[in-house]
Amino acid sequence: MKFTEDDIYRLSSQYKNWSFTPSQLAATRLQTNIQATEHIKATIARQRAARALKADPEGISESERAGSSLDNGNATANGSGVSSGSGTPLRADKEVDCLTAAEEKKLVDIFCEKALELGKFLNFPIEVTATGIQFLRRFYLLNSPMTYFPQTISRSAMFIAAKCEDHRITAERYAESLPNTTPESILAPEYLITQALRFNFDVKHPFRGLKGGHLELMEMARGNAPAPPKSSASGPPRSASTLEQEMRRLPPPRKPHGAASNLSTASLEKRITDAYTHASHLLKTSALLTDVYLLYTPSHIWLAAHLLADDPLTTFYLGTKTPPATPLYAKILTTIRSCADMLAAHSSSSSSTRSAPHADPDPDPDEIPRLMKKLRNCRDPDRIDLVKLQEGKKRDALATAEQGADGAVRLEESKAKRRKVAREGFQKEADEFWGPALEAGKGEGEDEEGAGWDGKMEGGERGVEDKLVRQVAMRRDGG
Amino acid sequence: MKINPEYKDGIQLDAYREIKCLQELRHPNIVQLNSVFTTKDQTISLVLEHLPLGDLEELWKNKDILYQAPDVKAWALMLSQAVWFCHANHILHRDIKGSNVLIAADGTAKLADFGLARKFADPGRAMTFLVITRFYRPPELLYEATHYSAKVDIWSTACVIAELCLRDWFLPSDTDAGQLSIVTETFGTPTEESWPGVSKLSKYVAPENSNKTRGRPMSWWRERLRLLGEDGVDMVRGMLRLDPKKRFNADEVLNHRYWTNEPKPSRAEELMLRIEMGKAEKRKREDERKRGGAEVESGRADKVARKLDFGSMRK
Repeated sequence: MKFTEDDIYRLSSQYKNWSFTPSQLAATRLQTNIQATEHIKATIARQRAARALKADPEGISESERAGSSLDNGNATANGSGVSSGSGTPLRADKEVDCLTAAEEKKLVDIFCEKALELGKFLNFPIEVTATGIQFLRRFYLLNSPMTYFPQTISRSAMFIAAKCEDHRITAERYAESLPNTTPESILAPEYLITQALRFNFDVKHPFRGLKGGHLELMEMARGNAPAPPKSSASGPPRSASTLEQEMRRLPPPRKPHGAASNLSTASLEKRITDAYTHASHLLKTSALLTDVYLLYTPSHIWLAAHLLADDPLTTFYLGTKTPPATPLYAKILTTIRSCADMLAAHSSSSSSTRSAPHADPDPDPDEIPRLMKKLRNCRDPDRIDLVKLQEGKKRDALATAEQGADGAVRLEESKAKRRKVAREGFQKEADEFWGPALEAGKGEGEDEEGAGWDGKMEGGERGVEDKLVRQVAMRRDGG
Repeated sequence: MKINPEYKDGIQLDAYREIKCLQELRHPNIVQLNSVFTTKDQTISLVLEHLPLGDLEELWKNKDILYQAPDVKAWALMLSQAVWFCHANHILHRDIKGSNVLIAADGTAKLADFGLARKFADPGRAMTFLVITRFYRPPELLYEATHYSAKVDIWSTACVIAELCLRDWFLPSDTDAGQLSIVTETFGTPTEESWPGVSKLSKYVAPENSNKTRGRPMSWWRERLRLLGEDGVDMVRGMLRLDPKKRFNADEVLNHRYWTNEPKPSRAEELMLRIEMGKAEKRKREDERKRGGAEVESGRADKVARKLDFGSMRK
């Protein structure tokens, strides 16, 4: 059986659980948004009702409301850490204005950018940051930013990423390097996040693929290309030196239809390295901040970035793998181009890519504060303070566990008692029939056991001997 | 399996590693993770495949289980395939040993315990050398290399195979230093000629000429690993080359002629039967011992007999 890289990728959790078509992706996000909105509206309505009930007979004033709402469970544990400064989300007079799915996505994008900065600030290797950002994106596919505040989650997700990518850092040191953060606030949502990620901690990145492609191109440029795959469609495979010659004559990077040049080895190598540098930059920015990970495979992503960096070189490279005349080639190229469009459309690539005509105009500078403000007013009041929530859960669990343990002990005791009674009963019976146990037996310190089967002996069946002896032996082993 | 949350950095690293790797690995010779769930008291539980027949270490230790060259080959093959699959997925196991190779009810061997496993590191990024149980630790880790490759797992695999043949530890020692000396005793002292770059490793000490060992002769290998046959010895020696660059990789191991030459590896059912028979034998003997022990120890056995006789007479 030939086991290809494709087969391996199809077995990965990234392919099975975290790859979507654009419409699936949109539907998932919409669903999440609807559920969160309904939930939050319901919770807030419930709280208002409860408060109204309390407030009405005594006519509690507005300022006292915060106090009374504390009695309604742990609902508005306000002011601690994450929710500081936010106006109380419980305005009885106003219908809650929830975020739309598009606004949610925008918020997540903003926090992904923040996470990227965070990774740079912490000097994390790019894989760790990249994994953390993907965790964040995956998390907010099935959870709404209204339910869980993105800043808390992103800090914790980055910490989990550091653990998963074997980048050692303690929670304490991690929290110290961030403002307003305690180890508890980092660890509190950990279970939540791991569950939301379906315990899939492996993210496949395009970085190594790019590196591999780069090395391969360099070898080709030096005339050491490995034999390309055999294919009847393209006739006899091209030799390494032909490839080298063709490569030198490729049109210049950003003008696919420009005049063919004839580069020296040194300048060809420079060209390949430039493309690599550019593509690598795209992978570390646009690729992380868009949905490409959820829509394309790592190979698509790195080839798309490379395509943006140097179109003719990339199509040439693809041509060495799949003959350009085949439908497969066209299909692959279409996919890669659509992925490249997505990368190019992201604002972070427009500064560095001249060939990004359809890049978004810079987002409205007021938009971010506006979204943040809106978010503050529609957060799920039950889930504002995750640390308290987590502590509460732990307490509950502990209480249950203790109860369980108590129960078990009691059960054991009653069992032991019953056994003792039974044993005493046998002893009595036996004594009546046989008289007191023999002295020799007592020496062993196992009178009770002995008496036990003495008592049963009255049946006097054949063949019981063997069974009984084994029983005794086993009991002895146990004791 | 349960994971203890007594750890101040949240969920432990080995839990992450185990879950992360097992989620990605689906292979007949790797333990299968069926599902993961958290309970109310915030512990993570992994539902793993049930592997009731013990592990390879128990297997060679239990002298009641008799096995032959084809059986060794079968187990070795299953383990090698598992290792190959890990490496194909860019995962280093880093703790291969007999007690981590478990045996399923149908006799198949399955690699388990990915608590130390990790993805291949990028070139240039250091990894810890404090991995792999000592008896199975390859020389580059004994010299405390921080850059190593999948070849560390190959060394451990070869050790497990050798143990199966010997029915004893292959390279036992009490300390890390002792481990290094038994390795050099067996394989000869590495030098810059036999292993380019070895002198750069932090714990390497250039040997004095008088202390140089040349390693065991071929006859020693043939003698000790007789169950493997000529081909098997050749393969195991390829897997145990001191210089990791010269050591076989997982592909080379699977392409070795040992697997295709006679004898053919046993089928899983045969292995299962051997284990079951061995265990039954052991149980039987233990029962006998217990029974015998009971009679001798207590002195009450004859009392039982007497009473029983009496009872039957009464009837």
